[in-house]
Amino acid sequence: MAAVTGRPRRFASAVTRWLTEPVPLGRLAAFRTLVYLFVIADVVVFTPWARAHADVPGELYRPLLIGRLLPLPTPTPTVVWSVFAALLVSAAVAATGRLPRLAGTAVALLYLEWMIIAFSYGKVDHDRFGLLVALAVLATVGRARHGDSTRSEAAGWALRATQLAVVATYFLAAFAKLRWGGLEWLTSATLTWAIIRRGTFLTEPLLQAPWLLIAAQFGIVAFELLSPLVFVLRQRWRYAAVGLFYSFHLVSFVTITISFLPHLVAMTSFLPLERVRPVVWARRLASRRERAGGGAAGHPVTVTGDPPVGGPGESPHRASPQ
Amino acid sequence: MSTETPVTPLTTRGRLIRLVVTVVAVGLLLAGTFWGEDDHFPFGPFKMYASAVDPDAPTIDTRLEATDAAGATVLLTERNTGIRRAEVEGQIDRFRAEPELLQVAADAYARRNPDAPPLAEVRIVIRWHEVRDFTPTGEWEEEVVATWRP
Repeated sequence: MAAVTGRPRRFASAVTRWLTEPVPLGRLAAFRTLVYLFVIADVVVFTPWARAHADVPGELYRPLLIGRLLPLPTPTPTVVWSVFAALLVSAAVAATGRLPRLAGTAVALLYLEWMIIAFSYGKVDHDRFGLLVALAVLATVGRARHGDSTRSEAAGWALRATQLAVVATYFLAAFAKLRWGGLEWLTSATLTWAIIRRGTFLTEPLLQAPWLLIAAQFGIVAFELLSPLVFVLRQRWRYAAVGLFYSFHLVSFVTITISFLPHLVAMTSFLPLERVRPVVWARRLASRRERAGGGAAGHPVTVTGDPPVGGPGESPHRASPQ
Repeated sequence: MSTETPVTPLTTRGRLIRLVVTVVAVGLLLAGTFWGEDDHFPFGPFKMYASAVDPDAPTIDTRLEATDAAGATVLLTERNTGIRRAEVEGQIDRFRAEPELLQVAADAYARRNPDAPPLAEVRIVIRWHEVRDFTPTGEWEEEVVATWRP
């Protein structure tokens, strides 16, 4: 490598430090499990229409650029159901944390193909760039145990890349509005149109108050343009900003029934997920019940498996090495 | 607390690869945003609701519907055909140019509803809701864009 010196080099190393800021492996493990379980839920429950493309004759299949380059087969029932089955199996393995690179790579590739099957019939959705990035980068992190407080730069990059993708979805959407709608977008009837097409009984009254919808359009663009500030906020404010992001989607779900669910899952990359320990909590509850039952009263009950993680008010601990 | 926990660092090479991958992905995404189209998925522009809708222009509401052999009108949805409304809209120019393509909807319906009466006609209908000064007037007109009969 040619020697890069001086200011550019310092800048590059500062950027790299930020991109790979270490995070606890327990957080990565929790995020990984959540993302892969979501993939299963998405394929089975949330986007049944992707699977339904198995029954749509191939004439309607207009492969996206990536599908033409690779080139991927025109979906038939066999193709769709094979990808479906392989995706379920690999996501189930990956959700357990086993074979993280192999199963993770399989899920990333199969889910990409699943999306090509979903979006090659005339409509591309824009709600899952963050999830696709998460799937791609999760496969680059090796083993990560639930509850492990060891911090890892590889895990840090995976979460940072996902966060960047999530925020880019907002920030760059403002520029897409400028490109397609122009500045007139702000005072256009786009939300009116959205409500006529997808509104609920809750939103009917809003159609009588166009000024409110225009104000909301200004608010949306301001929100999108300011979203990158989430990266410079201090911890507590950063969580507040992420809470604001989530509430934005709650409002759009209630008003125009658009959920952006995959994006919401990717956005958990901002949260200290290592504190969410359903398995440990369940075991603790079970052992407490056992003690209350009287049999082993007075004897400390060890919770087998992963050590508990330091939540607020708990003392820090060191995870035992694997 | 965080200073006490051990850190697993990346190798210099690992760090460099990740920096390069990030820069390339950001570059592709920026190019997609300013010059790309949906076709460039996953790096296409985030153009959900990005067009500016004229507050005095009629609002488009497209549907795919059919008349079955028993004479009943059937609304064709993603549930009973696997074809989404937005997909009909996305390929509407094709359907306009070759209405016989609507046979795929009849075939998909037959596959998903083997016990239902076959479809005798499939059509794309656009209901144009009249809008004046941001407010729907409640009036609408319907336009049949394409029709297919076996």
